[in-house]
Amino acid sequence: MAEVTYLEALRQGLWEEMERDPRVFILGEDVGAYGGAFKVTEGFAKQFGEERVIDTPISEAAIVGAAAGAAHMGMRPVAEMQFIDFISCAYDMLTNYVATARYRAGLATPMVVRGPCGGYVRGGPFHSQNPEAAFLHTPGLKIVYPATARDAKGLIKASIRDDDPVIYLEHKWLYRRIKEQLPEGEDLLTPIGEARLAREGKDLSIVTYGATVWKALEAAEQLAKDDGLSVEVLDLRTLVPMDDAAIMRTVEKTNKVLIVHEDTRTGGVAGEIAARINEQAFAWLDGPIMRVTAHDVPLPYAPTLEDFVLPQTEDIVKAARWLAAY
Amino acid sequence: MASRAAPTTHSRPPSAVAPGGLTRDQLLEIYRYLRLTRTLEERLVALYRQSKVIGGLFRSLGQEGESVASAYALDRGRNRDILSPLIRNLGSMLVMGAEPIQILRQYMAKAEGPTHGRELNVHFNDLERGYLGQISHLGDMVPVMAGIALTFKLRGERRVGLVYIGDGATSTGTFHEGLNFAAVQRVPLVVIAEYNRWAYSTPPEKQFAVTDLAEKAKAYGVPGVTVDGNDVLAVYEATRFAVERARDGHGVHVIEVKTYRRKGHAEHDDQHYVPKDELDWWAKENDPVDRYVKRLLQSEWVEQRELQAIDEQTKAEIDQATDACVDEPLPPGDSALEGVYANPAVLTPHWYRSL
Amino acid sequence: MARIDVLMPQMGESIAEGTLSKWLKKLGDEVKRDEPLFEISTDKVDAEIPAPTAGVLAEIKVQEGQTVPVQTLVAVIETDKAAAATAPKAAAVTAPPVAAAQRAPAAPGGAVPAAAPPVPRPSSPVPPKGDGAETAEERLRRKSTPLVRKIAAEHQVDIATIPGTGFAGRVTKQDILGYIERAPTAVVVPTAPTPGPQPLAPAVEPWPGDRVEPFSKIRKITADHMIMSRRVSAHVTSFFEVDYSRVAELRRKHKAAGAERGVNLTYLAFIAKACAENLRKHSVVNAAVSGDSIIYRQDVNIGIAVALDWGLIVPVVKRADELSLSGLARAISDLGERARTKKLSPDEIQRGTFTITNPGVFGSYAGAPIINQPQVAILGVGAIEKRPKVVTLADGTDTIAIRTMGMVSMSYDHRVVDGADADRFLADVKRTLENFPDGAI
Repeated sequence: MAEVTYLEALRQGLWEEMERDPRVFILGEDVGAYGGAFKVTEGFAKQFGEERVIDTPISEAAIVGAAAGAAHMGMRPVAEMQFIDFISCAYDMLTNYVATARYRAGLATPMVVRGPCGGYVRGGPFHSQNPEAAFLHTPGLKIVYPATARDAKGLIKASIRDDDPVIYLEHKWLYRRIKEQLPEGEDLLTPIGEARLAREGKDLSIVTYGATVWKALEAAEQLAKDDGLSVEVLDLRTLVPMDDAAIMRTVEKTNKVLIVHEDTRTGGVAGEIAARINEQAFAWLDGPIMRVTAHDVPLPYAPTLEDFVLPQTEDIVKAARWLAAY
Repeated sequence: MASRAAPTTHSRPPSAVAPGGLTRDQLLEIYRYLRLTRTLEERLVALYRQSKVIGGLFRSLGQEGESVASAYALDRGRNRDILSPLIRNLGSMLVMGAEPIQILRQYMAKAEGPTHGRELNVHFNDLERGYLGQISHLGDMVPVMAGIALTFKLRGERRVGLVYIGDGATSTGTFHEGLNFAAVQRVPLVVIAEYNRWAYSTPPEKQFAVTDLAEKAKAYGVPGVTVDGNDVLAVYEATRFAVERARDGHGVHVIEVKTYRRKGHAEHDDQHYVPKDELDWWAKENDPVDRYVKRLLQSEWVEQRELQAIDEQTKAEIDQATDACVDEPLPPGDSALEGVYANPAVLTPHWYRSL
Repeated sequence: MARIDVLMPQMGESIAEGTLSKWLKKLGDEVKRDEPLFEISTDKVDAEIPAPTAGVLAEIKVQEGQTVPVQTLVAVIETDKAAAATAPKAAAVTAPPVAAAQRAPAAPGGAVPAAAPPVPRPSSPVPPKGDGAETAEERLRRKSTPLVRKIAAEHQVDIATIPGTGFAGRVTKQDILGYIERAPTAVVVPTAPTPGPQPLAPAVEPWPGDRVEPFSKIRKITADHMIMSRRVSAHVTSFFEVDYSRVAELRRKHKAAGAERGVNLTYLAFIAKACAENLRKHSVVNAAVSGDSIIYRQDVNIGIAVALDWGLIVPVVKRADELSLSGLARAISDLGERARTKKLSPDEIQRGTFTITNPGVFGSYAGAPIINQPQVAILGVGAIEKRPKVVTLADGTDTIAIRTMGMVSMSYDHRVVDGADADRFLADVKRTLENFPDGAI
């Protein structure tokens, strides 16, 4: 068993799929000769050749569009957005073309669009975004968002093998900050659409994904130590299709739920989750469904500002404490 | 030495000595901007390595010539011409009147900085002084500047807009749409296409199929020329021509400046993909500042001691600006809630913040 | 005089740590501002780090080759040379300038706070206002939350009579569960409407010397439920005699093995298993009546009545048909134990589909139990003991043998369960018990 970082695990997953299936290829800016802005694809061009690791012009719409065309023809492209903030340049292609292709035209479009998302890195408004909400409501796209090294690997492999277009969000703050022992010699796959219980508890549930999974776990530790509270943490891992059953199970178990995500509050995924809990587990609630999210502002650059805007461990602790006492 | 506050005029004064009708004072002023740009960036690198500048640092080493020279060709002063700089056009901002202390504060996320810590890099603006900083999404500033130039036209003002675009950014959809819009609307916009040979690690061969960026101008029905970007006076002259042409109502003009990006994409990029001898050649044989100095001295337009004096003054100016702001505070956290909208002007913190 | 911190810089967004590869200055050396001080190596790039200020290198905190997180204190520079010459004291670290009250200039138009989120703040309970309009907090105290209402409905408990310790003095899950456990309900009660008007009971008066005891809460609930149940269902009781000899034999055989595993294979476990298997087959016995419809329950959840000092409680084994005999035995024993120690959760006393009661434990030969609403059948287990029985030998002659026998009596709701249904079910249960397979333990 080797200990690898989240980024290394992602790289392993990509590499294994490239080896396993010659239809898989990568396209994006600076992915070939440079190995990617974050070095995710370092060594790939040398191993797999330039035709399978294509350095593209700065043209996100073309990258996504070309990937779609290749996918129709049976390829399995993995398109990289250098920072996921630039996926907005491909919004038309993704939502109007790719998402609707199977439904309106019977066109299979098995492609992955991946890129580094997230803040806590002083990257300012255009290098820190979490765009999942913009695509959540678009039928036809799947969205995955791993929080652990194991799922970074398992989900990229599963996404590539999935027959639907998948948006794969990898968190840049987690890239090198988390490490995990991964088993070797196994085909490590994380099923899409399945949440993971990151921590068991009985007094209160935190439903979350991405970097805030780690903040929730920190908060849970603190609450156990200081307040004697037993907090359950559910890592969604997939946003579309969402694992409703797992969410309802935890709500039925603890009867109190706090939804946490790094994205802004208004229109964020937490609202959708809250609506589903209300519909499917209303009778099990012993308190209001509460949220901890970013403030509704463009993400500012200065450390003091970013720290204020984004959800911190202390916020989760306070919110959970309040809800537990409700 | 001409003061930065007073607008410099561009009619051909009897004291003109150099191409483009530049006077001795103007030549020295240009030199000052070149030196200021380079020295300020060196200070920013040091501050970055001392963790005082966070986020990223993007140098314009090797490109200072075309940034300064092209901006210098504009009508400067309050509410005159407006340019939109990219991250490697610090020189152009300084020419339009941005102060080093503002740049330092912006990079260090200080509360008193031009964006009060909200944006990084040189992404800030002063529309009255005449510069509109970019956002990270490349190409986006072209349609915006087309719009600004459009208002000049609509209002019958003899003002010109100028926008920089990198070789990589000419591949974006917004570049295409913006330039096409500007061309068909015949707005007074000069486009400086900076062929600096590198878009992060991507060379021109992977970026487009034309040889010169100026060729792209034909697709939009506007004139395009290619200029040696590291020849300060050549860039100045070419830009002057295009700017005055636009001012006279002849629409868009593209100027491609051939130059070279001598540092990595950002401070954390070690440029391992660049052949070392190529870097060395540009550094030794084709540095825009060195060439400019050589030209000035050889033509005997200025004296060495004048240049040295400017070097010392510039260093002192940067030191002073740094000392003045390096210990200033960062903005208070809750100031993040202001100014998302005009109305409501302030948002409330989330519920758990007051527990 | 000032001591200036030198930190491990962050060279790139995702970089979390750096290795100090080489010191370019020694302790005590003079340094100039921006002069290279040390070299670092990170995942992305190697770099020379310049001194932030002029002075003397007064302290070195990180050695060559050490890898530290970004922002770690690497060294301290003393700007006053004279001070640096003295022995270094504990680092009086110059704190970073505190974010002053200097705010960014307010946006024009003045600050207009956005609508505050409608979350009531935690507060102590507020007495109701006299003006008649109910406040949010009053409503919360009256109605609490969906979960508490659900529990209250199933136990016919009035939320308003329970003291609340939650937000705004509301009744929490713990409050109502604790209340129920202290005064447990006899049965799970649905909100089914009672058919027809209540018949008037005759007025009764105490005579001198009599002791009058007002109903306890649980007594009241029990009384109401029993009457309601007999009124709602058409009660009929069927009696079967079961030969438990085989079960007794299996109990003896597996007693030791069971004990080792902490499992007590009681008669009740065997009976529950036999019922569980056959309830699947005879689904009308595992049903409920709703208006003019029969609800055939998908799950087989068997309630086992437990007699406590203060009353009766019926914990439920969920999906009993999916458990093995040992699993059932364990579940029954566990539930019983927790019922006695008041550690049941609300989930565990709800959603039963069939009930087994065991008056035989007190010696009763057979009983005619009252159905546990909203179910349609309840099985009473009579005393199990050795009795004489006529058996036919292999050669056809009859003789009297000593067998372990007991009665089972099932009361059922003849609105939906006909005699044939009930008896077929019971016959199957009897057959299962009398031929209990050994392998199923």
